[in-house]
Amino acid sequence: MKHFSIVSILVILLTVIVYFFLQAVGLLPTQASSQAIIIDQLFDIHIGIIAFLFSLIVVFIGYSLIVFRRNKQMPDEEGQHITGSSKLEIVWTLVPLAVVIFISYLGAISLAETRKIDPQALDIKVTGGQWYWSFDYPDYGITSDVLYLPVGRQVKLSLTSMDVIHSFWVPEFRVKQDVLPGENLVKELRFTPIETGDFMVLCAELCGGAHAYMNSPVKVVTDGEFQDWIDEELGNFPQDPESLGERLAKNNGCFGCHSVDGKDGVGPTWKGLYRSEKTLVSGEKIVVGEDYLYNAIVNPNSQIVLGYPANVMAQNYGELFTDEEINNMITFIKSLE
Amino acid sequence: MNLSGIVKGILFQIVGSFIGAGIMGGIRALMGLPWKTEPAIVLGGLVGAIAFMVGVGAFKDWWKMALGEEVTEASEVVGKQGLSRYFGFSLDHKVIGIQYGILSMVLLVLGGSLALIFRVELAQSGLQLLNFVQFNTLVGLHGMVLIASILMGIAAMSNYVVPLLIGAEDMAFPRLNAFSFWIAVPASIILMSSMFFGGFETGWTAYPPLSVRGPMGIQMFFLGVFIVGYSSILGALNLIATILTMRTKGMGLFKMPIFAWSVLATSIISLTATQLIGLSFQLVMFERLFGMSFFTPSDGGNPILFQHLFWFYSHPAVYIFVLPGLGIISELLPVFVRKPLFGYKWVAMSSMGIALTGFLVWGHHMFTAGIEEYLRVPFMYSTLLVAVPTGVKFFSWVATIWQGKARFPVPMLFVLGGIIVFLLGGLTGPPNGTVSTDLHLHDTYYIVGHFHNTMFGGFIFPIFAAIYYWYPKITGRRMSETLGKIHFYLMTPSFFLMTFGQMRIGLLGMRRRIADYDPAMGFDFTQLLITIGGYLIAISILVFFYNLIVSAKKGESATGNIWNSRSPEWDILPSPAPVHNYAGIHFNVVGEPYDYGLIGSKYVELAQGIHQREESD
Amino acid sequence: MSSINNAIVSYQQKLAINRLGLWLFFASDAFMFGGLLVARFYLLGNKNLNLDQTLGLLVTSILLISSFFMNRAEVMVSEGNHKGFITSLVITILLGISFLVGVVGLEWGSAHFGPGDGAEGAVFYMMTGMHAFHVLTGIIFLSLVLRNGLNKKYTPEKHYAVEASANYWHFVDVVWIIYYPVLYLMGTI
Ligand code: HEA
Ligand code: HEA
Ligand code: HEC
Ligand code: CUA
Ligand SMILES: [Cu+2]
Repeated sequence: MKHFSIVSILVILLTVIVYFFLQAVGLLPTQASSQAIIIDQLFDIHIGIIAFLFSLIVVFIGYSLIVFRRNKQMPDEEGQHITGSSKLEIVWTLVPLAVVIFISYLGAISLAETRKIDPQALDIKVTGGQWYWSFDYPDYGITSDVLYLPVGRQVKLSLTSMDVIHSFWVPEFRVKQDVLPGENLVKELRFTPIETGDFMVLCAELCGGAHAYMNSPVKVVTDGEFQDWIDEELGNFPQDPESLGERLAKNNGCFGCHSVDGKDGVGPTWKGLYRSEKTLVSGEKIVVGEDYLYNAIVNPNSQIVLGYPANVMAQNYGELFTDEEINNMITFIKSLE
Repeated sequence: MNLSGIVKGILFQIVGSFIGAGIMGGIRALMGLPWKTEPAIVLGGLVGAIAFMVGVGAFKDWWKMALGEEVTEASEVVGKQGLSRYFGFSLDHKVIGIQYGILSMVLLVLGGSLALIFRVELAQSGLQLLNFVQFNTLVGLHGMVLIASILMGIAAMSNYVVPLLIGAEDMAFPRLNAFSFWIAVPASIILMSSMFFGGFETGWTAYPPLSVRGPMGIQMFFLGVFIVGYSSILGALNLIATILTMRTKGMGLFKMPIFAWSVLATSIISLTATQLIGLSFQLVMFERLFGMSFFTPSDGGNPILFQHLFWFYSHPAVYIFVLPGLGIISELLPVFVRKPLFGYKWVAMSSMGIALTGFLVWGHHMFTAGIEEYLRVPFMYSTLLVAVPTGVKFFSWVATIWQGKARFPVPMLFVLGGIIVFLLGGLTGPPNGTVSTDLHLHDTYYIVGHFHNTMFGGFIFPIFAAIYYWYPKITGRRMSETLGKIHFYLMTPSFFLMTFGQMRIGLLGMRRRIADYDPAMGFDFTQLLITIGGYLIAISILVFFYNLIVSAKKGESATGNIWNSRSPEWDILPSPAPVHNYAGIHFNVVGEPYDYGLIGSKYVELAQGIHQREESD
Repeated sequence: MSSINNAIVSYQQKLAINRLGLWLFFASDAFMFGGLLVARFYLLGNKNLNLDQTLGLLVTSILLISSFFMNRAEVMVSEGNHKGFITSLVITILLGISFLVGVVGLEWGSAHFGPGDGAEGAVFYMMTGMHAFHVLTGIIFLSLVLRNGLNKKYTPEKHYAVEASANYWHFVDVVWIIYYPVLYLMGTI
């Protein structure tokens, strides 16, 4: 019995130490959404359980190995012949069973809490593609490559992908949802930002190539600032074809693969593209003109530039954009000459 | 010229691959289609694997049997002796066990070295060494090659040890046994060759639609894993049959050494679930080759289907990886603490419990994948349920150790290390298992930390324990204790450095499978530590290999029951184990396997009187 | 114990092990076929595939009848009826080949979709193809058994090869009994 009392005390001590140590090092990023608070409460319970079970087993083993160690004088000493105890076995089957059922129950509650629906939620359509994010605000008719969110209001994201599986994740919000291709596989994610500031959407599912760089800024702003941003987006920017084209290219992920400053990317840079001379995979040499550009956007595989892969650029830009929009982008590309 | 089996096999494989590729080219040419590399390498790989088996001589006897001719009984085949027998076709389970072991270690070094390469890239932010495809290929191959290494490693332990433990002359199907091993060799070559066909971008999980696009190295990956899978299925079939039918007299199921139980449980999973990873990979192969759209949504497919099929194997697979290792722990612990295994029946049944509940939990890898909402909560309950039988094992180990008179030779150190490391791995499981916390954790380095803990604790540590423990049985010599201790005391802290680092940055937002990370997140220093930890592990393993090779010639000779164990292979057999296990020395089971500390008790006893099989010869 | 007795005992014991091994293989293979069933339901629900019902019924009956003859063959070899055994075996093989011709030759040729036509095509060709592959291997086993049977290698006591290939044949048949309604009938009512 004496041994058990000592061990119990040691277990409790170690549990407390481990628990407070884990709390003190700051395991998780800041809590920037109301979901984060709920989820972190569950993390807290987990940490407590981990600290306890770890201490329980390590202390028992360590204590036994040290205190009951072999007497140097009797190297052949054998342990006691104890083969088992059904009572104990039942206890340590049933108690953990109860514990895990309880944790699962807490987990179910926690999940339900994080998924609470606010009918006033702000609708945003999120599109992921190799390798960019694009955000549509259907209520306002805005498309942006930065996710602007008003603080304190629930957002409802409808997520879809252009190509492969991506995953929407903002560590400070804690929640994550894979983004699947296919019209019937649009997924929904809700959260409520509670802290203003700058964050990052990270793509958390390996999606090939530049997966590491598939990040976009998230700006959580006050209501007023959000309204200002909307106003600015809606009216107060230049309406000339060149600027319109630049915005289109920016918001649709072209810059994920094409740079405008001469750097080589997944696709050829646009800087100095217009009127430059290019060699195609077919061996043909051409001088880039408007027709070529139009074709390169609408039907990219028909003329692959030497040194770049086919099938990488989406094939459906022709359907996605109106001719006017494409012409605007061409004007923009021309302006980079 | 008498080439040893493996050389001949590889030559045949090379020729076969070209023939296969040529046939595909020919067929396409006849159909008026141009040359295309992808179908050609697939058929080439397949024909190459079969050619390897022909070259190594795996089909010879089966062919005779198919023609109704008599073949020599496996037990009467006199194999080669000496070192060369390990490189040719042999039917002896002990030889095959060691062959598996060699393959496992080769794969461990290959897979580990891949990690060492990409760890350099990750040691600091920015891209220094690798491009994206190279990085992704290395990560995915690291995962899969090491998983193959685990499968080979558990096959090595089961093959070598199980027949000895249960007093069988050999496995139930010796030819199938040899086949299962040898098919894994060309499969490993094919798997590695994926690097040279453009690599692949998908990680070991190979999710479509990404795997449907991308470089064609993925086909070699699929083919290699498919064949390794078959090796594992056939091996499992053999082990189940062996354990169920070939036990010696008096050995009821509940009198088997506990390791046999864990192998039985593992084999049930490998036998059945493995089909599903084969199938899921096959479907993607066909989608790429024939345009059959199983997983492309725009053509009516569904990428989630793949994930269901894949994880239906790959979750139970993680219990395939650990159950034999946990079995080793349960097997060795009583020997070194000189006490009976606490609650034998419970420990035996907990293996079965883990194996069976393991089938019900695959959805926990898909909490964020967009599966049907109503599935997430049930999968959460079932996932956490696995903790219960696992806990029974832990508590029984603790109770076994309690008041034991422990001694600490190297195998015991690895057993204890395994317990602690696996405990950490297991305890980091439940936070992944509750849905809402997993929303944060999924696809982060926390998960990476979780599974390195479980796999090291459940496989790497135990297999080292097993090697140190049974090495004298194989060679008649001990491995050096000093070098063994250096190995242990270098590897364990380095390992903690590595995985604690991984879990820490994972919680803070480090994603998996990224070649570069934002320096603003402040991970550079920890990443450097992880890399250093990885390299220290590698150095410790180098020490191990040195020990392994040098001790075979120079080790202290050990012929008797050096661990003072009750199990038959130590109690009855001399070391090194004779060619025909117990030929002429049959034994009966007369007591309980782990009655340490009960004076005068016996587990096994030589059979009295004549030896029946001898007589009929 | 005399050594003859011993040989019989060890043959019996081997037989038991071989039987167990075969059943374990079936268990494993069943998971693969099950996986394909899951794929069918997951992708297509209980959608009907609009296949040729007459042909479907025909090939199914052929396979069922072949199973009957296979059983005859096994019974006859254990009764020592050599001629009957060979005849039944030949009939089984011929029926097996007609099944293959029916599915791969006719059904694949006449179906209104190809393997590349959406999930329906993919699922249909994969399921029938995988099953046909098993039938093909079955025919190869049976042909070997036929060859050895003609060489009088089997006795009423020792004919495990016949038993094993018969069981394999029945197993593949049972798979089709499940696949047939799932592919042809489901969704028609
Ligand atoms: C050997 C391998 C192994 C083992 C044994 C385990 C064991 C467990 N794993 Fe792990 N896991 C992996 C290997 C393994 N895992 C791998 C490789 C991946 C990543 C795959 C990939 O995406 O690449 C993964 C990923 C993974 C995920 C998916 C995470 C994600 O991607 O989002 C989850 C989620 O639930 C999970 C949970 C668990 C749980 C609950 C256990 C449980 O079995 C643990 C049970 C043990 C204990 C809990 C400790 C001892 C018990 C007690 C002391 C009793 C009392 C306990 C309680 C009351 C809680 N694992
Ligand atoms: C048994 C399984 C196993 C083992 C032992 C290891 C061992 C190691 N793993 Fe592994 N790891 C996995 C299984 C394993 N891993 C899996 C399944 C994945 C998931 C893959 C995926 O996401 O798709 C993964 C992923 C993974 C990642 C995440 C990559 C990412 O997502 O970005 C990292 C990163 O740190 C990592 C690191 C390491 C390191 C440093 C080691 C070290 O311990 C390695 C130590 C080295 C050796 C064991 C080899 C011995 C070497 C020598 C003796 C040197 C001699 C060599 C020569 C002379 C040439 N691993
Ligand atoms: C996933 C990567 C990717 C995205 C996103 C992408 N492109 Fe491309 N693009 C490429 C690649 C690779 C090439 C080179 C191969 C080719 O010629 O088709 C290319 C070529 C081009 C060319 C021809 C360039 C030359 O040097 O001749 C134009 C013009 C172009 N893209 C426009 C666009 C526009 C406009 C968008 C956005 C609406 C876009 N691209 C989005 C990858 C991409
Ligand atoms: Cu998109 Cu990763
Ligand atoms: Cu799992």
